Amino acid sequence: MPAPTLRQLTGVFLRIGNTTFGGGLPTIAALQRELVEQNRWLSLEDYALAFSLARITPGTNVIAFCAAAGARIMGMRGALAAMLAETAPSAVLAVLMTQGYETWRSNGWVMAGVAGTIAAVAGMMWASAWYIVRPYFTDFGSALRGSLIALGAFFAFWKLGLGPVTVIGLAAVVGLLWKEPAGDATRPPETEL
Amino acid sequence: MNLFLLYLLLFKAVITSFSGMASLPVVRNDFVEKRHVLTDRQLNTAVVAGQTGPGPNGLYLVSVGYFAGGLPGAAAGLIALITPAFVIIPLMSWIGKYAKTPRIRGAINAVILASAGLLMAASIPLSRDAATSPLAAALIVISFIVLTSTRVETWWVMLGAAAVGLGAKLFG
Repeated sequence: MPAPTLRQLTGVFLRIGNTTFGGGLPTIAALQRELVEQNRWLSLEDYALAFSLARITPGTNVIAFCAAAGARIMGMRGALAAMLAETAPSAVLAVLMTQGYETWRSNGWVMAGVAGTIAAVAGMMWASAWYIVRPYFTDFGSALRGSLIALGAFFAFWKLGLGPVTVIGLAAVVGLLWKEPAGDATRPPETEL
Repeated sequence: MNLFLLYLLLFKAVITSFSGMASLPVVRNDFVEKRHVLTDRQLNTAVVAGQTGPGPNGLYLVSVGYFAGGLPGAAAGLIALITPAFVIIPLMSWIGKYAKTPRIRGAINAVILASAGLLMAASIPLSRDAATSPLAAALIVISFIVLTSTRVETWWVMLGAAAVGLGAKLFG
């Protein structure tokens, strides 16, 4: 398997990570083409392992994927280079957009556009919740378990006033004690990345 | 706001979530409700700034950091965003086999499902803040329907909503 230089590796993550819109899944798909199929720096097995483990790593899954892929290819410096190349330029852009909003907030036209965008973001957040729950609606047992855990967390936070970390801890305990219906244990959830 | 505290709060939000936007309830709880460092409008703006460009969904934390602590705060946000990813490196070596254990997988899936419930709860106040007019309320519903029933990218939905907002000002 050919080994890239640090510059080559960083270049791929810079290019893919900062030009692919639509969140994590399209980015990971594009990285698969580059890392596995075109350059052959990463085996398909390692790609699949990184992809699966990124889903159960806390935080943003695509960043965890970059860390895993970078580490597999070039150790710790590969992981660091991949993560920074994936996130730093987009982070600068996010700051510039935030500054732009602050500068232009007295402009009625800009604010009319931003108000529309903010409404779309609110819709997107509801959609994100649905994306997370949807893969569990495969059969009655999974749908019931998934709905009750999600709605239980909702009410625990919204009505009982429990903190998010407490709710997540309770959910983990419930998940340990309430066995998933057969077939669910190995099915990776298709959550938004 | 103290930079280290800012980092710790953002790190806590990231480490207790399993996808880019799932950290939002913790961020809102700490920054809007408890500490009053941000308003709901600023949090909404941070999400817009993070979502409009390329890159991972969790980038809104950089904007949250910027609102709370300027450029050093934005850097703290970026570091908080990437720190938990280091966990995957030892995971790659030894946890792969345990992750398929039914009970562990069940616990992980329950945490993921709970994050959906928390996200819904956090979406209520943010939606109230965004629904400044009947048109904005309609945009929230339409965006949800388009995003959940089509394969249109989020970026295009946000661009379309901005165009509708501008059109409403032009003709209203």
